[in-house]
Amino acid sequence: MWIEMTIWLRLFHAERLKLKKSSIGLLTMISPILAVLIGLLMSEQQPPEIQWLYLWSTMSTAHAILFLPLLAGVFSAFICRYEHMGGGWKQVLALPVPRSSLYTVKFTHVALLLGLTQVFFLIGAIAVGVIKGYVAPIPWSDLLRAFFSGWLATLPVAALQLFVSVSWSSFAAPLAINVMLTLPNMLIVNSEKYGPWYPWVQPALAMNGVDKYGAFNVSLSTLLFVIIGSFLLFLISGLVYFSRKEM
Amino acid sequence: MIGKLLSSDMVKIRHTWIWLLIVLGPVGVISLQAINYSLRYDYLVSKLKDQVWIGLLSDIKMLAVLALLFGITLVTSLIASIEHRQRSWKQLLALPVSRFNVYTSKYILSLFMMFIASLLLAVGSVLLGLLLGFGTNIPWSLLLMNSFYPFLAAIPILALQLWLSTVISNQAIPLTCGILGTILSVYSIRMPDWMPYKWPLLVNEANIPEYSVITGILIGLVVFLFSLVHFMRRDVD
Repeated sequence: MWIEMTIWLRLFHAERLKLKKSSIGLLTMISPILAVLIGLLMSEQQPPEIQWLYLWSTMSTAHAILFLPLLAGVFSAFICRYEHMGGGWKQVLALPVPRSSLYTVKFTHVALLLGLTQVFFLIGAIAVGVIKGYVAPIPWSDLLRAFFSGWLATLPVAALQLFVSVSWSSFAAPLAINVMLTLPNMLIVNSEKYGPWYPWVQPALAMNGVDKYGAFNVSLSTLLFVIIGSFLLFLISGLVYFSRKEM
Repeated sequence: MIGKLLSSDMVKIRHTWIWLLIVLGPVGVISLQAINYSLRYDYLVSKLKDQVWIGLLSDIKMLAVLALLFGITLVTSLIASIEHRQRSWKQLLALPVSRFNVYTSKYILSLFMMFIASLLLAVGSVLLGLLLGFGTNIPWSLLLMNSFYPFLAAIPILALQLWLSTVISNQAIPLTCGILGTILSVYSIRMPDWMPYKWPLLVNEANIPEYSVITGILIGLVVFLFSLVHFMRRDVD
């Protein structure tokens, strides 16, 4: 147990070294920067009570409907790039490390990068509100909840994308699948009937449905079946596939 | 010379994802609208009255522009990564072929692919309208505008994406630029007319879609020439 933990942490550290000085950090800032511009250019006619939530939902539209699911794909493909180039998989797996540890380390990195994107987004939203001089106090609980549920709702997409990215060495092919599955969001996001069941649209619902359902911004059945269900399905299939794959 | 390069490029992409993508893009857009219309048929048709074809075409265009820009991003990246992945740029350029022709061939190939996708979109639009029982009174000129104008207006973006994908070997960067540009174009309705990401929407102050198309073709040529000159002078790895 102890040894496995140490191996996991070392793998985690090795993965971080591989990403160091790469442009991946910059990619986490793109969506927040665009959202800040949208927020700054947005017209202001709202009463002070809803200013913050209105700003949040305007800024998070593009971010959550398109960027979060698509970035999950970009990060997953990025994190497999070094291994796909020049036979890195064989090299890593020749070391005494369990394949499952390597896979979960990679997934953790994708999840952390998405988390970083969310952090930048949160900072951006608050900065825009402060620059615009909103008088109402910052609705911390609402914003933090949307921030956290949006991140959680993106993890199933990330799990599937990591699965696809380890199986194909091409960068654009996994992303093509991602785009095809994300594009329907444009129509589904407005559907009360189908929205709660489509995994790719969950980030958008989770980040926008402020104050509708308890601790997360989606209903309990969506959380259990769609988000957690698809997350486990995608992660476990990816893990099983990766453990048996011939490199 | 360029003909031979083009046919060798065609062979290279034969068993790749590109063809599938070219078919799946328009099919995806049409089937999404098919689902949209079949779920809300009465509401949408009663709203449009005798303008059903026009309504259908504009609904298709909304998604098609997004799919087109994503498609450009993915197709140019796939075309460039054939050479990146096998590290074959050097090998290719060591052959007695000019760099001018190598790059032009890739550019023509990307244009051709997106042209096929637009053609499939036009066919699909007609089929969907007929299937929905909108009659044979098809507004042909609007249909052609709807299917091909956004593609022509997006040529500068295609040229830019092909250049980025060729010059940068880490495809995460051109792909993220493409995604950013696509999302930017969703928001570009209120941006000034000089913004290239607005052109595929065919919206401009004069309200003449041909302006966006002509600017697109011309600036597309300029971007292509700049990237061509850069490609001819740079060191490849």
